[in-house]
Amino acid sequence: MHFRRIILSAIASAPLLAAMVGAAQALTPDQAKDFITQSGDKLVAIVNGGGSEGQKAGQLRDLVNQIVAVDQVGDYVLGRYNNVATPAQKQQFQGLFHQLLSYNITYQIKAYQGVTFNVNSATPQGDDVLVDTTITTPGKAPADVGWVVEDDAGQPKIIDVIVAGTSLRITTRNDYAGVITDNGGQVSALLNAMQNQISKISAAQ
Amino acid sequence: MTMLKRRLMRSAALTVPGLALATALAGCATPPPKSDTADYQAYQQLNDPLEPTNRVFYTVNDKLDTYFMKPVAEGYVHITTQGIRNHVGDFASNIDEPARMLNFMAEGYPRDAGTSLVRFLVNSTVGIGGIFDPASAMGYPETDTDFGQTLATWGVPAGPYLYLPVFGPSSARDVWNLPVEWFATPMEAAPASGALSAFGYSETGLHLVNTRAELIGPIDQIKATALDPYATFRSLYRQSRASQLQQIQQRDNRTWPDWYSQPSKP
Repeated sequence: MHFRRIILSAIASAPLLAAMVGAAQALTPDQAKDFITQSGDKLVAIVNGGGSEGQKAGQLRDLVNQIVAVDQVGDYVLGRYNNVATPAQKQQFQGLFHQLLSYNITYQIKAYQGVTFNVNSATPQGDDVLVDTTITTPGKAPADVGWVVEDDAGQPKIIDVIVAGTSLRITTRNDYAGVITDNGGQVSALLNAMQNQISKISAAQ
Repeated sequence: MTMLKRRLMRSAALTVPGLALATALAGCATPPPKSDTADYQAYQQLNDPLEPTNRVFYTVNDKLDTYFMKPVAEGYVHITTQGIRNHVGDFASNIDEPARMLNFMAEGYPRDAGTSLVRFLVNSTVGIGGIFDPASAMGYPETDTDFGQTLATWGVPAGPYLYLPVFGPSSARDVWNLPVEWFATPMEAAPASGALSAFGYSETGLHLVNTRAELIGPIDQIKATALDPYATFRSLYRQSRASQLQQIQQRDNRTWPDWYSQPSKP
């Protein structure tokens, strides 16, 4: 009797489950590819366009906030320390993370002058899509860069960058965890280190 | 064995007791109590019990790199073009092909071993001693492996992370790659001579400088943006090794001619 009830409820919930799966996999490889093509074109236009380095950095920061799911990436990067941090610390972390991500992306605008961008292929990875691209910069060997795109409330957003088999968000998570564990598990140590880094970069720019 | 190799072997041999001594002096990382489940699991996952010692060696290598390797690499970039650097890279890669062939055989991937053999034969002849890479254009792209990956395919776990003086990131498994690499080069097969020693010196030196030159941008970026560069390099090393192993295990090379059906690797 009990078994029959499980089977019946499983059958009854099947269409619901299919609908949920359908909703989660709303992003098709072609959509992700189009999104990366458009985002890449915007990025290249900013880097190779006119204007001072400061103006370009400002434009890049805006673009990053549009095309990257920064809050989700921040949550991922903080990892298990999400459970340790106080709500105030989490809020401060997200603010600093937004700033640092923008600084890190705009770190070498000069070095990327003359960059070109080719989108190669897109492969589904669970609910996300991995879009493979080749980035060519004058005087450097071409680099294969993968972009992991996910559906964020109906909008495609970048959640990870893969270079030579290494994930940027996993690397950053391990980097930040290194700071916390080195300081006796204190999230405040990470926040201080992030703040120092921002001050250092601001002073250098 | 060339003189250079003998010296490097000696320094590698000295490294092991040195490592043990430094470990004894600097001590191991103190694991968190088992009662603190999350912290204890994270410690186990990190698998870096020699972290205090490793960090000392990281600092030493960092200084060595900042004041010696990087300036040399920058000078080299100044006097070479990307084309020349690519040819130097191809040349060094070609010398390593026989070692790759042996490792692929040991890993049980005869098609990859065949690719390495064809690449070595074609690039050493048509490619003028490996300066050019016509084999890639013929459908035999470069595939990488080493003894550490061979041990991995045999099921040997990576073991604790090691940061070696001079050599950099490694692991208890991958460290065995060092002695194996010294012996598995075509120069070993040739009779010892002064000219061969000079060639060995030049080739190893040029390869090191060329590799460092290609990494100027990425390494600068990591050092400038990472909050904990040691932890960042550790993460990158481990991810990169896991990705290489995955590529080796998933690659399904086609043979030419198409002798028999091409089953996918499991």
